[in-house]
Amino acid sequence: MNEPTSPTTHFGFKSVPAEQKVAMVADVFHSVAAKYDIMNDVMSMGIHRLWKRFTIDCSGVRPGQQVLDLAGGTGDIAALFSKRVGPSGKVVLADINESMLNVGRDKLRDLGIINNIEFVQANAEALPFADNSFDIISIGFGLRNVTDKDAALRSMFRVLKPGGRLLVLEFSKPTHDWLSKAYDLYSFRLLPFMGQLIANDKESYQYLAESIRMHPDQETLKQMMVEAGFAEVTYHNMTGGIVALHRGYKF
Amino acid sequence: MLPLLPQLLCAVAEKLSRKLIAMDANAKPALAKLQGKQLSVTLRDLKLTLVLSATADALLFNQHDEPTDCRITTDIATLKQLRDPSQLTRLIKNDALQIDGDLHVAQQFSHFLQQLNPDWQHALAGYVGDALAYKISRTLQHVQHYLQLKAKQLSQMQRELAQDELLLTPSRLETEQFSQQLSELQAKVEHLRRQLNTL
Repeated sequence: MNEPTSPTTHFGFKSVPAEQKVAMVADVFHSVAAKYDIMNDVMSMGIHRLWKRFTIDCSGVRPGQQVLDLAGGTGDIAALFSKRVGPSGKVVLADINESMLNVGRDKLRDLGIINNIEFVQANAEALPFADNSFDIISIGFGLRNVTDKDAALRSMFRVLKPGGRLLVLEFSKPTHDWLSKAYDLYSFRLLPFMGQLIANDKESYQYLAESIRMHPDQETLKQMMVEAGFAEVTYHNMTGGIVALHRGYKF
Repeated sequence: MLPLLPQLLCAVAEKLSRKLIAMDANAKPALAKLQGKQLSVTLRDLKLTLVLSATADALLFNQHDEPTDCRITTDIATLKQLRDPSQLTRLIKNDALQIDGDLHVAQQFSHFLQQLNPDWQHALAGYVGDALAYKISRTLQHVQHYLQLKAKQLSQMQRELAQDELLLTPSRLETEQFSQQLSELQAKVEHLRRQLNTL
């Protein structure tokens, strides 16, 4: 997790110069944006919707609150938040990738979600918002792709209001060995094949599987959040630890 | 409870309520009064807290323990009795029901749900045509009447069996007669007691 001090960083299992990772991740998401939602449903058998709902439940969101959905992609989490904060609240959907943001914007407009939502193209490592701006920040399946995760967590801490909370929904380490083996088989054999079949893009889904393995496990991420300044950091494993939701407060 | 099952139930409830609200033309104005209000219902035996939030055109379902406008804590067995407002005080006294916060919010939600009357016949007609939708609706009404009638007959039969055939319980007339005789006896005893006192 010492990416900033190293001249190289990981891109899946490969080592690449740190400054190239952003562009390489961008290429992956430009490539998958159009088929992102259908692939999510197929890959997770629809369970990703429940993971996202669990994230909303843990946020304790109330009408009138300001919410930042980072790496918001196609807007699943932002849509859930938008309905809950109501006309007096606001949701900012931020993503570094323009293609994903466009897909998200079109989708939310089609759903009639327009009034309390803003779209911002932003890098999580240097968020373009004032200090203490948001009651809730969520980042769903996005932190994995950030080059300097510590900088991103610090940046999120800065823009969060005192009393606010950060929710990190991310792939993590399965808690059982047998599940870990089955999951490896699934992600390295089946996933790239499904990616090829549905999105005609094997490499991007190969990267997805590899990047999940390179992402810090539950305890490491918890420690990183504590180091960034978050208090009362807890995590909750879902589906046997394949996904974990970390929650931290700013006091 | 299974992990993520509450989320699944909330998602299904949200979808279903959205459909039902869309079918009722009077629902949206009623919902507008509730907009922005949150009600949480905690079921102690399931260790589950369900949070209902009202928006301009839908009800949202969540599961968390954060503070809301009104919080009702109860158990499944008590839920059925909540329909009868005269029971509320007794339930609160017996600790079967606990209400914190704005009771008015709970009443508004309850009123909205009771008033919800989706025009499902109209929605069905869109799929099968007016004639068949009418026929289905009529048939369902007949079935409902038939079931109500049968339930009434069954309860009547049970009562007659217990009172007349098996002689397990007294009939109403017998109870009244017994009570009358008891009152008369009581009066006689009182009369006798007074006579004894005067002696």
